[in-house]
Amino acid sequence: MIPDRPVPQTDAADNAFSAHDAVLGWVKDIAPYGIFTTDTSFRIQSWNQWLATRSGMPASDIIGRVLPEHFPELVDRGIHRRYQNALRGEISVLSAALHRYLLPFPSPVADLHSPHMLQTVRIAPLVMNHQIIGTITIVEDVTERETQALILQRQQQHEHMLSRALSVLLRANDPMHGIAELFPSFVPALGIDAFFTHITKADERTLHLSASGGILARLKDDLATFAPGEGPCGVSCLNSEPVIVPDLQATTDPRYRELRSNGMRLFACFPVVIGDYLHGTLSVGSYNEISLAEDEAKFLSTLTQYLALAMERVRRETQLIAARTTLQEHAGNLEQKVRERTALLHDTIAQLESFSYTVAHDLRAPIRALQGYSEVLGEEFGHLLPAEGKLTVSRLARASKRLDVLTRDLLRFSKVARADVELAPVDVADVIEELKSEAPQTLQNAISVPASLGFAQAQRTLLQQCLANLIENAVKFAHPQRPLRITIRSEQAAERTKGVATSSLAFNPATFGSPKSTDTSAAPQGSWLRIWVEDNGIGIPDRSRSKIFGIFERSAGSENIEGTGIGLAIVARAMHQMGGFCGVESIVGQGSRFWLELPAA
Amino acid sequence: MELMSSQKDALTELINIGYGRAAGALSELTGYRVSLEVPQVAIHEIEKISPLLQEVVSGEVAAVNQVFNGPISGNALLMLEQDAALVLSRLFDHERAPTRGFDASAREVVTEIGNILLNACLGVFGNLLHIQVSFAVPRLHVETVDHLMHSITRDTQEGVSYGLMIQTRFNLRASDVSGYLIIVLGITSLDRLMRELDHWENRQIK
Repeated sequence: MIPDRPVPQTDAADNAFSAHDAVLGWVKDIAPYGIFTTDTSFRIQSWNQWLATRSGMPASDIIGRVLPEHFPELVDRGIHRRYQNALRGEISVLSAALHRYLLPFPSPVADLHSPHMLQTVRIAPLVMNHQIIGTITIVEDVTERETQALILQRQQQHEHMLSRALSVLLRANDPMHGIAELFPSFVPALGIDAFFTHITKADERTLHLSASGGILARLKDDLATFAPGEGPCGVSCLNSEPVIVPDLQATTDPRYRELRSNGMRLFACFPVVIGDYLHGTLSVGSYNEISLAEDEAKFLSTLTQYLALAMERVRRETQLIAARTTLQEHAGNLEQKVRERTALLHDTIAQLESFSYTVAHDLRAPIRALQGYSEVLGEEFGHLLPAEGKLTVSRLARASKRLDVLTRDLLRFSKVARADVELAPVDVADVIEELKSEAPQTLQNAISVPASLGFAQAQRTLLQQCLANLIENAVKFAHPQRPLRITIRSEQAAERTKGVATSSLAFNPATFGSPKSTDTSAAPQGSWLRIWVEDNGIGIPDRSRSKIFGIFERSAGSENIEGTGIGLAIVARAMHQMGGFCGVESIVGQGSRFWLELPAA
Repeated sequence: MELMSSQKDALTELINIGYGRAAGALSELTGYRVSLEVPQVAIHEIEKISPLLQEVVSGEVAAVNQVFNGPISGNALLMLEQDAALVLSRLFDHERAPTRGFDASAREVVTEIGNILLNACLGVFGNLLHIQVSFAVPRLHVETVDHLMHSITRDTQEGVSYGLMIQTRFNLRASDVSGYLIIVLGITSLDRLMRELDHWENRQIK
């Protein structure tokens, strides 16, 4: 209790009294909370500076007044009973959550949600000399605390809504309608009553109304389409910046005419933008609130960003699908073209082969005549010619004989190329035996077959021709200084042996064109048989190896050796016809190892 | 010291009267009908109370305590498990957002509820037993049962201490919240209380 006049002092209590005074002074002037006291009739006896400042009521105005008379609502609210209890010795706590305030003071925080200061209060008996002489009340201002708690709570709520929005929007095929799905849950939290979204179609830049909520059909019609820069969303689109228009009814801008006439009091438009690309706009409105709180604007901004991300995702996905479809179409077209060209190519080759066969065939007769006449010339009339003349005639004979051999070889090749092939299991050793039996004794001795050779899926006659040509080749290119040795062996492999097969080179004219095999087993499932024909001849230089299987190709250094070079070309073509492969390994001066590879049978 | 069954009954009746008043005040406070149940009254030596409580209560507890002085003196507590305290604050404050935790505002609400209950009980001692006590300002503690009982027993000055343990259940808005009212007294105060209780009983019979 703060005395109106100085209390009589005793000497002993001097120091105590001045200390007491100091405390009372502090309570009156400095205490950071409100303190007031009453007597037992609830007449206000003291009213500290804190209360005076915040109530606008100075102590001089209020001291002496009876509390329940000056603040009659305390009785209505049942709080006066607590004061009566205090006179009986009870201490009461009044929490701000349940009572909001004891005395109605203006709020220290500019907050629309709470016009009054929120107070937590303690009411206690005032005791002196073991007597209750009145009451004391302590008032604490908790407005700031509660406002902060509310703000935090709103933040958490907003964060929760935003994370939900993100997941819904990113999963949606049409994010603008995803927004429609979300809005009912946002409306109560944000104090908005309406929304609408616009989309820019890719080619045009006009805005088209997409999803909406809380607006009348008539307004929807008015909002259906806008040219760039027009309508309530115009400014926002041009600048790619949000536009917030508070107190819409007080504006006169013609852009908002339709919104105003529909009773809207607040409007905000957020552009849905990623980089430079404007997907559209998200607009919100309220028929009740006239302004948008800062955290609400931030929420809508973030929501719009999520919307932009979702729309961008959909756009890119659409582009990707379109690109993929186009690519597939092109691939299909390309395949078709390749098939057509290949067919054409096969046709052409077939025609060429046919032509060369015909030519070779038709050349035989005149060539025989040429040979015949040159022989006659030599035999009948040679004795009439001078030495030079005889020489010329013998050259003529040789040349025409050569011509004959060439055409015959060409004919042989063409026959192989044109033949239809029937595949069957062939005993390779048996084929070699047959060849040997028709060969001269010296050659028979030169050939050795150390182990069994197995069975190949082949055409017997063709395989025989191949082996015969390889042996013939080995004979032709035998080393002059040592006896010829030919070894024939075979090996099986589960897969095709790796290594460049000469006959698989695309531009080898001997092998181009489709094989005419009638074996329909396509890619053989089983193993492959590789037959090696190894000799100790002069070998083949590197640079010749890829060419030797060509028609009329000769190995370098072999010009002196008789033959047209068609032998190996025939081998290559024949292997190709049977769906097989051939190739060679060689070391100059040591010998060559030719190989044929066929499906094992 | 053990209570005789007649003493237990008398004490229970006394607490019931107090709770009746508290329930009335609490109902007015919240606007909803609040009722309080008193299933059990027991008395234990103070050292036994902590272990007993720890059997039924887990984690930290929220306790509103008021020291009282007069012909009997001691410490009165309303003790609730922290979760229960939060639920209670939400039941009383219906405008409160459910996502708020046991923050300052919730603590104030629980303090007020405890204050009303303790005032009612101790007030009953005053009215019916003619023992006038004065109270100190109520305080809220949030700590383990052990720590709580430790700081409570430090306050009392009289030799051996006893605790009156009264299991309490709040019923409101289709919910139940349970807690304990504990009144810690020294032997002298307990003695005096029991004597006054006998006197009161006798007055009833007459």
